[in-house]
Amino acid sequence: MRVPLERKVLNENDRIAATLRERFQSHGTFCLNLISSPGSGKTSLLERTLESFDPARRIAVLTGDIQTDNDARRLARFGFPVRQITTGGACHLDARMVERALADWPVEQFEILFVENVGNLVCPTSYDLGEEARAVLLSVTEGEDKPLKYPATFHHADVMVLNKIDLLPYVPFQAAVACENARRIQPEIEILEVSCTTGAGLERWRSWLAGHLSAKHSPRRRGGAEENEK
Amino acid sequence: MSIAAAVLDAVRAETARRPGARATRAGLRIGELSGVETESLRFCLETMVSGTDLDPLAFDFEFCPWTRRCRACSTTFRVADYDPACASCGSADTEAAGGDQMELSYLELEEP
Repeated sequence: MRVPLERKVLNENDRIAATLRERFQSHGTFCLNLISSPGSGKTSLLERTLESFDPARRIAVLTGDIQTDNDARRLARFGFPVRQITTGGACHLDARMVERALADWPVEQFEILFVENVGNLVCPTSYDLGEEARAVLLSVTEGEDKPLKYPATFHHADVMVLNKIDLLPYVPFQAAVACENARRIQPEIEILEVSCTTGAGLERWRSWLAGHLSAKHSPRRRGGAEENEK
Repeated sequence: MSIAAAVLDAVRAETARRPGARATRAGLRIGELSGVETESLRFCLETMVSGTDLDPLAFDFEFCPWTRRCRACSTTFRVADYDPACASCGSADTEAAGGDQMELSYLELEEP
């Protein structure tokens, strides 16, 4: 007997992600999921981002790695709460790991929650973490055809951060080709060219973040937090 | 591997809703943009089923192409050569329509 089903394979992950998303939205927390290959500069970008924030800001970071808490230690230097998720072999974060890591954290107090995924351009793509936006990083020491090789990742990203542009004079990477490739996969993708070493372009990245924050705190904001303010 | 585990969880959950039934074949719908390579998923599934309560369980894969819909002429078209422009009228104003499926589409069950 054949029983037709329309069941998403990751429906359990999607269910948890939906509760996380609701939690973030009701408290006005902007959650950003950062995805890239190992070594593209996710942690460096977060370092440069955290160092620019007033220490009074309510920013938090979850950082995922297969092993070690090196990234959490790098990021904790800026005084904002940081937690490491060590996946112990898994090549991506899933919604349950995020839910567990946040269990006893005052998420409702955070303006921004950065989630640094495990360095991998394939598996993290399939797992919704309840984020509001997804950023993919590409660096100029990689190939400009990466968007074509890993279309799923770029297709699901809201913004592509092209990092290490200070190295462009020394590598054959053609930034225009990489950007064109990303737009073929995802015509609406925003592209920000930065160097975490020299700081070039980081102002635009900060404005991009600020734009998302102000959109969250506009009168269109939905959910419990709005109720509380009445 | 964790996607294969999620597939088998879904098979078990759906089978358990029909007491006494046993799944013999599972249909999977996998999109071109899902990030899943069907041959490696098949390998993981077969390895993880072997020697368990689910053995023997066969898998059928249905490939779902990457499609976009044209906002100008409403045609849904398959994206070829990474070109997001409409295959019918050439408009660049198109939106994502399909290709990220990762679904259990059917189960074949034997009932006592």
